[in-house]
Amino acid sequence: MSLKNLVTDWPRYRQGIEEGGFQHYEHRWGMAIDLNACIGCNACSTACYAENNLAVVGKERFAKGHFMHWMRIERYWDENYAEQQHPEQGAHFMPMLCQQCGAAPCEPVCPVVATYHTPDGLNAQVYNRCIGSRYCNNNCPYRVRYFNFWSYYESSWPEPLNLQLNPDLTVRDKGVMEKCTFCVQRIRVAKDKARMENRKVKDGEFTTACAQACPTSAITFGDLMDQDSAVTRLWAKHEVSRYDDKGRPVQEQNKAHPELRGYRVLEELNVDPSVMYLERVREELA
Amino acid sequence: MINLKLKRREFLQLMGWGTAGATLAGCDLPTTVTLEEGKEEVVAYLSPEEYAIPGVGVWYASTCMQCAAGCGIHGKVREGRVLKLEGNPGSSINRGKLCQMGQAGVQNHYNPDRYSTPRLRRDGALVDISWDEAWKLIAEKTGAAGAGRVAWLTGTLSGHQAALMAAHIEAVQGKHYGHEVINSAVWEAVNRDLFGEAMPRLHLAKAKLALSFGADFLGAWLSPVHFSTEYAEFRKAPRGILVQVEPAMSLTGANADLWLAIRPGTEGALALGLAYVLAQNGVTAPAVLQGVISDYAPSKVAGITGVSEARIMQLADLLQKHAPSLVLPGHSAQGQTQGYETTAAIMLLNVMLGNAGQTITSGGEFPFPQLAAKSGNTRDLIAFAEAAHNRAHDVVFFYGANPVFTAPAALNLADRLKNIPFKVAFTQFPDETAAACDLIMPVASYLEDWGTHAPAYQPDGVIGLQQPLMETLYPGTPGLGDALLALLKTHNAAKYGAWNNYYGYLKQAVTSLPAQYRTAGQTDEAFWQSVLQKGQLKVEVKGGALQVKPLSGISLSAPAAGGEYPLTLIPSPRLSFWDGRHANLPWIQEAPDQITKVVWDSWAEIHPSTAAQLGVEEGDVLEIASEQGAIKVKAFIHKGVHPDAIAVPMGQGHDDYGRYAKNRGANPLRILNPVTDARTGELALYGTRVKAAPTGERQMLVKAGRDNISQRGRKLAGTISAEQFRRTEG
Repeated sequence: MSLKNLVTDWPRYRQGIEEGGFQHYEHRWGMAIDLNACIGCNACSTACYAENNLAVVGKERFAKGHFMHWMRIERYWDENYAEQQHPEQGAHFMPMLCQQCGAAPCEPVCPVVATYHTPDGLNAQVYNRCIGSRYCNNNCPYRVRYFNFWSYYESSWPEPLNLQLNPDLTVRDKGVMEKCTFCVQRIRVAKDKARMENRKVKDGEFTTACAQACPTSAITFGDLMDQDSAVTRLWAKHEVSRYDDKGRPVQEQNKAHPELRGYRVLEELNVDPSVMYLERVREELA
Repeated sequence: MINLKLKRREFLQLMGWGTAGATLAGCDLPTTVTLEEGKEEVVAYLSPEEYAIPGVGVWYASTCMQCAAGCGIHGKVREGRVLKLEGNPGSSINRGKLCQMGQAGVQNHYNPDRYSTPRLRRDGALVDISWDEAWKLIAEKTGAAGAGRVAWLTGTLSGHQAALMAAHIEAVQGKHYGHEVINSAVWEAVNRDLFGEAMPRLHLAKAKLALSFGADFLGAWLSPVHFSTEYAEFRKAPRGILVQVEPAMSLTGANADLWLAIRPGTEGALALGLAYVLAQNGVTAPAVLQGVISDYAPSKVAGITGVSEARIMQLADLLQKHAPSLVLPGHSAQGQTQGYETTAAIMLLNVMLGNAGQTITSGGEFPFPQLAAKSGNTRDLIAFAEAAHNRAHDVVFFYGANPVFTAPAALNLADRLKNIPFKVAFTQFPDETAAACDLIMPVASYLEDWGTHAPAYQPDGVIGLQQPLMETLYPGTPGLGDALLALLKTHNAAKYGAWNNYYGYLKQAVTSLPAQYRTAGQTDEAFWQSVLQKGQLKVEVKGGALQVKPLSGISLSAPAAGGEYPLTLIPSPRLSFWDGRHANLPWIQEAPDQITKVVWDSWAEIHPSTAAQLGVEEGDVLEIASEQGAIKVKAFIHKGVHPDAIAVPMGQGHDDYGRYAKNRGANPLRILNPVTDARTGELALYGTRVKAAPTGERQMLVKAGRDNISQRGRKLAGTISAEQFRRTEG
């Protein structure tokens, strides 16, 4: 990354920010998470630890908010919990990970362009460019960026636990911000393989660690630029789209069938998330 | 080379394929078989196969051993190391999926607290000894022990390890105790009496309504991943309804459409109350219930259980309207002094509602009884404690169980073990049982070992193959099969000397299967490779219709009033620590508990109304005392628990067990009263009354998400009604 490169690409980069992300995607990796299927079991989160060399920080640092779980399960109770005797409709579970926004608030605030938008539609984090200003973290409405307040490679992986580390990606060091990458190392392998075989990446030929582990198959991952992919079909089925008919980013879905379950979290912020959620369903037996 | 002539039947017996009847008739095995020494060696990944390219992972199939469900796994192996585990899509148990305990299996394998060399206790201190010395010592002590003086205490075993275990027990005329705290022994006993088989198949996906009495089938029940995949189907349109009734909310309860708190120990009364209403509505009650249910009018049941009369009527109505349904009894229903009766009352609802044969079908007859799961229980633990007390054994081997941790203090196991002169722990870790043993034999992790596994719950006939995903980290560490083979050789070299190692035995066992298991013309080697590649063997299970048999008398009495001990202790099993065996995995410790979101700790769930009475807030350290002792745990104020219950998760509170588990939290199993279910002799895990009092100390309970329990009006995790779902998705 040279200064020349930065200057040359700046107008295109700014345009992306103002008009809703990168304009000429090769792929646009996206996800659909069905909260009717999610049981809040943590399989996705632990699979992410195994795949992405996430540090274990221990109780004291966890208490200070230094945890590194790129994929976390949020658990809410009913809005009227205070009045209830018991939560009779169970818990509200929600896997929360980087939403890989098309118009990501984290990107323009980085003073060193360590977080940038890839032609795949990912919010990438360049670890060796990051200076740890944490502006991106401050600007993320989903709180899914995690900062290395410490070096963890000795405390988190005492021998021989270090032998488990995935060689396809680094162990991040103190002072660096990190976040979900949609398992970019798996994306790379699939893209390279497809290129060598002179074909397009096939839907379902790979998936993220979280989607692969999920016991209820609540997570669907794929390419939103591929019109036949399972994830594109799910977005279409639930009438969730990134652009309106004039090509402008969507702030609120204008659905022909408003009862369909698809929605994007905090869509009104106009950050163009790549993750669609499907609403949780409960029988009303009260 | 050893040549040994055997009769065909004996040969099959030796190889674990012995049958009860004549299932294998017509197979093409010769009448005598020549056994040859297992010639092959496991080749180190150091001299790589042609397809092992540096930088490129190769996936090998094996079987998960993190609980007894026997999920199929694929392990990613790169440069000779196993890096990542995924579910095996070919497995009918887990269908390509894997839970967090399974994902964390690599941390069991690479755990920094593993033993690497044998250690002998001399004058109280452990000293390193050589493998040769250790094996010699075992042979000496076992040889000197008389008939019946040698015993094994293990967790659930199945497959060829179970067959070899039985052979060893027979050789030494010893005794095998199978111990698991999290088990379904009471349910199995009811099933045997009611259906003539312990493990019928459950079809959650086919049910329109599931009513679960504490069966945490998404969490710590029979086969968590299998039932999670079934649950996903169950929730698709037309969407099934889930009602969960339990004293403290489980993971399954947290996903229910309707979660009902029930007074601990009264699940049976509710089941009989439902039977009463159903009978009133014209559903025929089984004979055994007819005399009983007249005492269980809803108004009375509401008083016993704390579930309102309206709810009871509603539940009965739901059950009648949504057929077929599935009614399941979980740990909280089984683990009572009237566990058998309670479980029977619940299972009889299935009979009444016509679910037997629909959502519950026959599991069939597993064709190889030698390999069938020998599920652990707590009755054996009590029997073992008695035997230790009576000095019935001179040599005891432990494997896959940590009874000193899981036994209630009332059984006095640590002291009683002193009566056994020679105790050997075949273990990976410095656990509480190892600390009480004389010889520690480090064993291979499940990712370094060979084996076959026939899990007790079988969605269809399957034997999982377990193969090493890498070289052993610590040379010399045997797997269970190798250890048993070594022991058997000291007793019967003529028969078992034929194999250098368990790999040789297992390979010969698999390739000696009749021709019907392989494609025509497949060589032994090709067949073996294909089995390893798939990671499993499908076996034909002789099916049949589920038989319903009459049960003998059921009578329930309401639990006694509290008196000095007003609360019931719920030692709740979690899909994380399990029975405590996973407390040494840092990923599991750092994973927030699914319900409370607490990390790296224990907690006591109490209802706000109980907390108000005690005058405690979150983080106040409570002393929870039973007749048998007390533990100190931080309070977690929670509405997903009955006011008469106090729930403490199982699995923490280790005195030992490595850096991640040691001295962390509290172990609720310690203070259980030694009360049992009258019919099965199982420990009544949920039958202990306690009192709780604040100690005056307060510590922060570390939780993910801190105190954010509300979405504050924003649509983060949105919810819609099932009615709306039916309009759009059917």
